[in-house]
Amino acid sequence: MNWLIAIPALPALAFVVLVFLPRALRNRTLWLSVGATCISLALAFMAFGRVWPGGNELASVRWDHPWVLGVMGGAPISLSMQMDAITAVMLVVITFVGTAVQIYSLSYMSKDEREGWYFAVLSLFTSSMLMLVLADNLLLVFAMWELMGLCSYLLIGFWYELEAPRKASQKAFLTTRVGDLGFLFSLLVIYRAIGTWDITRVLASVPSWGPGVAVAAACGLLLAAMGKSAQVPLHVWLPDAMAGPTPASALIHAATMVAAGVYLVARTLPIFKAAPGVLMATLIVGAITAVVGGLLACVQHDVKKVLAYSTISQLGIMFMGLGAGSVVAAMYHLATHAFFKSLLFLGAGVIIHAAHTQDMREMGGLRKHMPITWITVLIGSLALAGVVPFSGFFSKDAIIKALLDAHLYWAAGVVFFASGLTAFYMTRLYFRVFEGPEQTEHLHEGSPVMLTPMVALATVTVFLGAGSLAFAKFLGEQGEWPSVPLILASTAVAATGIGVGWWFYGRRSVVVNTQAYKAIMGPFYAALQQKLYFDIAYDSAIVKPYIAVTHLLAVVDRSGIDAAVNGVAAGWVAFAAAAAAFDRVVIDGAVNGLATLSKRAGTALRSLQTGRLQGYQRLVLSAVVLFMLYLVLYVVVKGA
Amino acid sequence: MRVGLEPFLMLAAVLFSLGLYGAVSKKATVQLLMSLELMAVAVNINLVAFSRFITPATLDGWFFAVFTMVVSAAEVGLGLALIIAIYRRSRGSEVTGLSELKG
Repeated sequence: MNWLIAIPALPALAFVVLVFLPRALRNRTLWLSVGATCISLALAFMAFGRVWPGGNELASVRWDHPWVLGVMGGAPISLSMQMDAITAVMLVVITFVGTAVQIYSLSYMSKDEREGWYFAVLSLFTSSMLMLVLADNLLLVFAMWELMGLCSYLLIGFWYELEAPRKASQKAFLTTRVGDLGFLFSLLVIYRAIGTWDITRVLASVPSWGPGVAVAAACGLLLAAMGKSAQVPLHVWLPDAMAGPTPASALIHAATMVAAGVYLVARTLPIFKAAPGVLMATLIVGAITAVVGGLLACVQHDVKKVLAYSTISQLGIMFMGLGAGSVVAAMYHLATHAFFKSLLFLGAGVIIHAAHTQDMREMGGLRKHMPITWITVLIGSLALAGVVPFSGFFSKDAIIKALLDAHLYWAAGVVFFASGLTAFYMTRLYFRVFEGPEQTEHLHEGSPVMLTPMVALATVTVFLGAGSLAFAKFLGEQGEWPSVPLILASTAVAATGIGVGWWFYGRRSVVVNTQAYKAIMGPFYAALQQKLYFDIAYDSAIVKPYIAVTHLLAVVDRSGIDAAVNGVAAGWVAFAAAAAAFDRVVIDGAVNGLATLSKRAGTALRSLQTGRLQGYQRLVLSAVVLFMLYLVLYVVVKGA
Repeated sequence: MRVGLEPFLMLAAVLFSLGLYGAVSKKATVQLLMSLELMAVAVNINLVAFSRFITPATLDGWFFAVFTMVVSAAEVGLGLALIIAIYRRSRGSEVTGLSELKG
């Protein structure tokens, strides 16, 4: 299975090549990126085929090749890859959606002058996500986790000339970073507990862990997953992340990267099961997120933000499946959701291209102009709403069933409620966009390059539901079709949501004054409009105090540290001035003084040089006379 | 009567003083030169007198005196030449005018 490495390596190679090409050439060699992803898709199917038939034991083919990165505590850090059923599912989902998005982007991004860079980052993202699911080492998972965060940051901020994408990219990066702290923490806890990061060995040793270790590790992992998968209260970055290009949102912020949190928890679920409290916390976080996301999706006007909150809500439902301890249900919902949500995002891209707006209130009547988009988005919406034959129905019911089996009836009720909300807001979106009066001109269907991937995704969405038993068996559980009461209950909930949505937004004859109902809802609607005050709370609780602290620190810096440094500098300047003065006064003074002295002496002595010969003679004569006098006196005195 | 050393020394001193006075005070260059000669003569008298009275056995003083006379003669020759040159240049030979090397 050594060729497994090629699955992530090919897109990575495409990234490396594209990055080093000049821009003009890069924009013309997009096929590199698309081709690499296509080959990865084929290889992913091959890998899937290798592990397909049996259960977990047979499926876990371990591809083991340690790269020694370094030595920690005497033991070399080795990275290894593995292949099992969960990985196989993730590989196919990522490469399939990745290929669809890349082909779609060929048309969607064709007018952008940094198209090549977009594809390069998309390739890097695909590569890191594939490596993440293939890794059998938590450190490698963490590295890829961060790399995905970087790609997400780059793609959200792709149009960095505008302010909103810039801010959104920073927000996404920083918010997920909070969760990554948890990941780092649990990495340390796990290494301290058993001294390895090999997932297989870690999970095998879970029963032997001390009481607190599993709780600590699970808490950290849950925090990490909450950050990446946009769970309340770390969900705030995902709606803002819609500022990036729509196909990138489809791949990263709907199908794959945000599902990485679910994947991480699913992969390390034995740790969570060893810490029942944290497992319950996962369930509760998922429940809160499912409801909050669903409620917020109902009041958004931006078509992409509706889908973003819907993604948050669906991820919450996946977390609930994990909280019930069911990897199969969560992974199944992850897979189906990846397909139909990326389909919906791609559809939204076509709609935005045609309508030149993202505001649903300015759309309407698009059905006649874009039949293929219409039918595919309708399929996606029905699947998301959980209508019977589509895949979303089966996966959502798998989660409800898992919750019921675990006797978590309230949680099942929450999923029903979230499903009802989903049905409502998708109906709202559908009627706002496709029905009603036309509000824009020059509506046109998307190009075939954009529609083909959507049709492919829609096909998967339609037929994936039929494979639910095979899927469960593949992941090692004995699945069964939903029971008739469950089908009826689900359908009733979906029908209620759709009916309410139709009553508000779909009826031709009566135009419902939504304003009146909003008034009835009063403060609750206002709270929803304000996104339940999460952003405001973060702003006033974290951002503003943080800025205040930085200002304070700046003052300390200026008045304390700068003052000290400047004081020392001023001291040196004063010392130098003193030295200069000493130099000028004493040393120069000595030299100049000598010069002045000589000059004065010269001037004084000069007057002797009269030039008159006899003057000199007289001088000599008097000197001689004096000398003689001296001699005579001396001799006389001596003699005396 | 036998004349001793002292009268000669006295004569020499008088002559030397006269010469010195002349050298210091006369303006005319020729007079200056003559005064110098006077002083040289005084020295010669001294030399000869000392030689005669102090060391009669040797002729050191005599020789010196002869040398001095030769040197004086050369000096006078040179001096006169200089005086003529100065006269040609400045139409006068008074020593007070020769102060171009004044400091």
